[in-house]
Amino acid sequence: MADTATMTDGQRASTGAKRRKRSYRDSSLGDRIFDICNHTFLVCLMIVTLYPFVNTLAVSFNDAADSLKGGVYVWPRDWTLENYTYVFNEATILGATVISVLRTVIGTVATVFFSAMVAYTISRQEYVLRKFVSIAFILTMYFSGGLIPTFLLVRDLGLINSFWVYIWPGLIGVFNLIVIRSFIEGLPESVIESARIDGAGEFRTFISIVLPLCVPVLATVALFTAVYQWNSWFDVFLYNSSKVELSTLQYELQKILQNSNATASRTAADAFASSGNGSSNKVTPLSIRATMTIVAAVPIILVYPFLQKYVVKGMMVGGVKG
Amino acid sequence: MENPNAPAMSPRMLPKKKAGPHLFIKKLVQQRTLVFMSVPFLVWLFVFKYWPIWGWTIAFQDYKPAKKFAEQTWVGWKHFEFLFQDERFFRVLRNTLAMSGINLVLGFVTAITLALLLNEIRRLAFKRLVQTVSYLPHFISWVVAASIIQSTLSPDGIINELLIRLGFIAKGEEILFLGKGEWFWGIFGASSVWKEVGWNTIVYLAAITMIDPAQYEAAEMDGAGRLKRMWYITLPGMKPVIVVLLIMNIGNLLESGFEPQYLLGNGMNVDFSENLDIFVLKYGINQNNFSLATAGGIFKTVVSFVLLFFANNVAKRMGEARLF
Amino acid sequence: MVKKSLIFCMAAVMAFTLAGCAGGKNGNNGSGGQASPSGGASASGASSPSASEKPLDKVTFTYFNGVAGAKDINTNETTIGKILEDQTGVNFKIEHLVGDLNTKIGTMIASNEYPDVLIPDAAIEEVLNAGGFIALDDLIEKYGPNIKRVYGQYFNQMRAADGKIYFIPFSSVVNQFYPDPDINQGAFWVQRRVLKEAGYPKIKTLDEYFKLIEDFVAKHKDEDLTGFIALTHDWRFFTTANPPMHLEGYPNDGNVIVDMNTLEAKTYAAADSTKRWLQKLNELNAKGLFDKASFVDNYDQYIAKLSSKKVVGYFDYGWQVALANNVLKDAARADPTQDDYVYFPLPVTFDGGKDQYLDPPGFVKNRGIGITVSAKNPERIIQYFDNLLKEENQVLRSWGIKGETYEVNEQGRFYRTAEQIAKIDEKFNDKFGFTYYDWDWPQYGTNSTFADGNAVAPNFQPEVFQMRLTDGDKEILGKYGVKTYSEMFSPPDDRPWFPAWGIPKEQGSPQQIWETKKEELTKKYFPKLVLAKPDEFEKVWQEYLGQFGKLDTAGYEKWYTEQIKAVVESLKK
Repeated sequence: MADTATMTDGQRASTGAKRRKRSYRDSSLGDRIFDICNHTFLVCLMIVTLYPFVNTLAVSFNDAADSLKGGVYVWPRDWTLENYTYVFNEATILGATVISVLRTVIGTVATVFFSAMVAYTISRQEYVLRKFVSIAFILTMYFSGGLIPTFLLVRDLGLINSFWVYIWPGLIGVFNLIVIRSFIEGLPESVIESARIDGAGEFRTFISIVLPLCVPVLATVALFTAVYQWNSWFDVFLYNSSKVELSTLQYELQKILQNSNATASRTAADAFASSGNGSSNKVTPLSIRATMTIVAAVPIILVYPFLQKYVVKGMMVGGVKG
Repeated sequence: MENPNAPAMSPRMLPKKKAGPHLFIKKLVQQRTLVFMSVPFLVWLFVFKYWPIWGWTIAFQDYKPAKKFAEQTWVGWKHFEFLFQDERFFRVLRNTLAMSGINLVLGFVTAITLALLLNEIRRLAFKRLVQTVSYLPHFISWVVAASIIQSTLSPDGIINELLIRLGFIAKGEEILFLGKGEWFWGIFGASSVWKEVGWNTIVYLAAITMIDPAQYEAAEMDGAGRLKRMWYITLPGMKPVIVVLLIMNIGNLLESGFEPQYLLGNGMNVDFSENLDIFVLKYGINQNNFSLATAGGIFKTVVSFVLLFFANNVAKRMGEARLF
Repeated sequence: MVKKSLIFCMAAVMAFTLAGCAGGKNGNNGSGGQASPSGGASASGASSPSASEKPLDKVTFTYFNGVAGAKDINTNETTIGKILEDQTGVNFKIEHLVGDLNTKIGTMIASNEYPDVLIPDAAIEEVLNAGGFIALDDLIEKYGPNIKRVYGQYFNQMRAADGKIYFIPFSSVVNQFYPDPDINQGAFWVQRRVLKEAGYPKIKTLDEYFKLIEDFVAKHKDEDLTGFIALTHDWRFFTTANPPMHLEGYPNDGNVIVDMNTLEAKTYAAADSTKRWLQKLNELNAKGLFDKASFVDNYDQYIAKLSSKKVVGYFDYGWQVALANNVLKDAARADPTQDDYVYFPLPVTFDGGKDQYLDPPGFVKNRGIGITVSAKNPERIIQYFDNLLKEENQVLRSWGIKGETYEVNEQGRFYRTAEQIAKIDEKFNDKFGFTYYDWDWPQYGTNSTFADGNAVAPNFQPEVFQMRLTDGDKEILGKYGVKTYSEMFSPPDDRPWFPAWGIPKEQGSPQQIWETKKEELTKKYFPKLVLAKPDEFEKVWQEYLGQFGKLDTAGYEKWYTEQIKAVVESLKK
């Protein structure tokens, strides 16, 4: 753990974990070379992975008709806010954003908490249903009843045109469950033992000992879930498409994209638009796609730095290991 | 890792070693808290995941959504036969396995390597920056990503430009990268890594946080260098998570993704780009043939189960962490 | 204490569960409630016998369009829709498809819950087979004098196997047929400067066309020009597969060409015409005039190349390249010297015979609008349709309001002023309702005329068309002695079955499987054939024929021939 200095601000002393500092003044020549190579490599990686985003950003701020000609790379050639105006002019965007935030927050909290709870039970070696519960969950990762049966189920449960259809079907993610379980199993048995000795029951142990220790993995799982919730639109399409009050940002953006497709071909057939001043291709699918990518991605990308704190630093439980 | 027979450690477990339903029920009562904490979710699981499996019957019918269950025509294995008897099926299967195999290996190796390298960065700000930037492509849809890949690889794209400048090819001999079928798997693998490596790294970074810093100190005192510490401490520390994820992904070996192949595929590389999902899409979903699509799904599930149990057993034999 | 918190937690889970279900129920009721005002109101409407005389109760029906097209809206929020609501009391809540059509329609069918009015687009056969539509015959008999007037001649074609009419198509031609003055259909396009430099020659054959391109590129060596490119990406592959049909002098019937006399349908994907076409491209490629990247580029890259002014010629359908053509036209409007780069459509055939690029009067009968079994009172809907088909309402939905969106001169001709043209942009179209009533309703087909001789589509009205031509446009049209682009082409012959691709095929049927396999094969072999060394062309062609021979082409052609004969037969009745 490289950055010991910042690790000491941990609040979770309750574990009795001792924090130790590791000096990093071990700059031998080999280490320096390693550092240089490592930094160079990571900077190259950043350039390659930043490019698609920068390119999309550039296209989103570039004039739609001009973008059609290609050749927009990292900087807009013909600046405009038209694309964003077009997207944000949609009256439904605001409400849809609220729903997106709600489903992301509620869905993430529920999923993380319940997944962790189940994960805890199947991490207890003595639990008699441990294997049964584990396998029952794991198998579901590899099959699906199919679209129509799932749809009929959701309908029979009365979840059509309901907010809860965003939460219920994905309440527990098996992947998340397994990842959390691996972490709990990696915790020193002694930590849990000591809680027992203090007379804590399973639930109490879970809430006050295990959960705090699992913050890094919970942050990770929360990120996965939040991104999933934020990005989904298929469930809106399937179950809630006729109820605009429950529409989400991603779904509304999909709509705008499809409209821009249709608009593009309409202005094509109807060359009137071009007889006025300005360009005939005010909106094009190309530009709208770039714009919606940015609009949809930026809010969720901003979530990461918050969670990152926990993922990168982690909680130290050392000292009592083994 | 704990001893799998840990119950012995718990004082409550000590009495009676008699097996049988009686003991089982007694244990259940004893462990009622754990039962309360998990069984409600089994009910959820049954309703949302297991109940819709009745839909698998569709694969054995000429399913028409309009008809009631009793009115459907039963056709036995017809749709499976269509799938397996098609001459292209094995080519499609080969492509699927090749691409997901590449994805599996490359995906794991690159994400773990990146996690290790990031862990060696001392300046927190830089570390966080690299991490945030490297996971950005995950938020770009495949449609957008594919079009960037296509223009990068096109005859007037940057790669050909570079090859000409460096004198590897002459002007006018630009390479149609996406027109060479045998290169498709490589292009696919590289694209997937580029798009997902940062994202896949996150879970390993979380795993690293669980490693006891005392171990590093001890190693340091023994004079272990950076690479040695990465190899002997960080990597083994991540191992349980790696193994579990590996087993899960081996079970998914028939899921090689759909969008990149579909978007980057064309007539010239179709022999290498078409995978199971695209095949099912063409002949199942696009023809509104729910039955064929379901048959494809069942086939994948069966293979997944076999692979899953196999991988899990191997891990068990090797004494590694396992899935169940 | 711990137990308490556990119980609390479980209670929370349960509460959550219940809330979920309750929420679901409420949600459901909510939607039911939304639908029921229509049901309720219309029920009361139906019970009062004087409904047709008194101002009608307002009702809202749900309307689902399987084609993505515009924002979801209530029709009464638009100017046209409001006027129609005042006439009929009916409003439609329009929802457009987002996502996959088959999935959406599949869920409607499986749950047997439909919107009141449905346009299932390509999934129409599924809805029909599922019994999702009600038969309209009695309703039309009772409430549909205008439907009879507009569609009467097509009724036989509209009937399903059981002799009933379940949905209303969109493209009935009323009165005189009026061709599109612009080329939105297929053509071989070439940069205007090429024609200018060559002295505006008459280009009739494919050889002349390619010769023209070759000479031009040779003369402009330093410009780094591309002679010819093709569009092949994904479903747009037909753009490269269709030309043999047109080069032989047939209109776009899809996968078949139909003999006018014997009504035999023949596929051409492995015929001599296709061989000849691909061999030409192969030669072109050998001369370095063909862009190899045509077979890997996506649509965006293709459009970018067409906008780059570096491509001399291409074959495509006008609607598909409008994005690029608009970029070039805009540039030419701003700076007349750029007119050289605008593309000009040419009616090219293999041997200079009569071309048939222009669509003949056709009746697309595998698309349409229907009333579903979920609709509470269909008579209000059919009355709305019928009312919409009145001549004055057709003027309203197409031309708008006199003095606002069009004018009439002393001769009774409709026209638009320059200000009106400038005013009618995308936003205006949405607000006014042109966007929503342009298509997707029972209507006069686009090529129709009103009783007074005015064109139904404003764009087709010569007065309007002339107004939007630039000087450059007029000059080149003048050189060829024509007034519109379509006059460059031969008038379409009458083909009552047209378009053959519009004859419905059941999903998953042998015909559809044939088409999927044929597309796979052509996608795979066309690039090989075009990019092969010229002396290997024959070998690859034989390989292709070998593969193609495995398809049941004879069965496909037989099916098509039967269908076409049936259509022609039904019109004789």
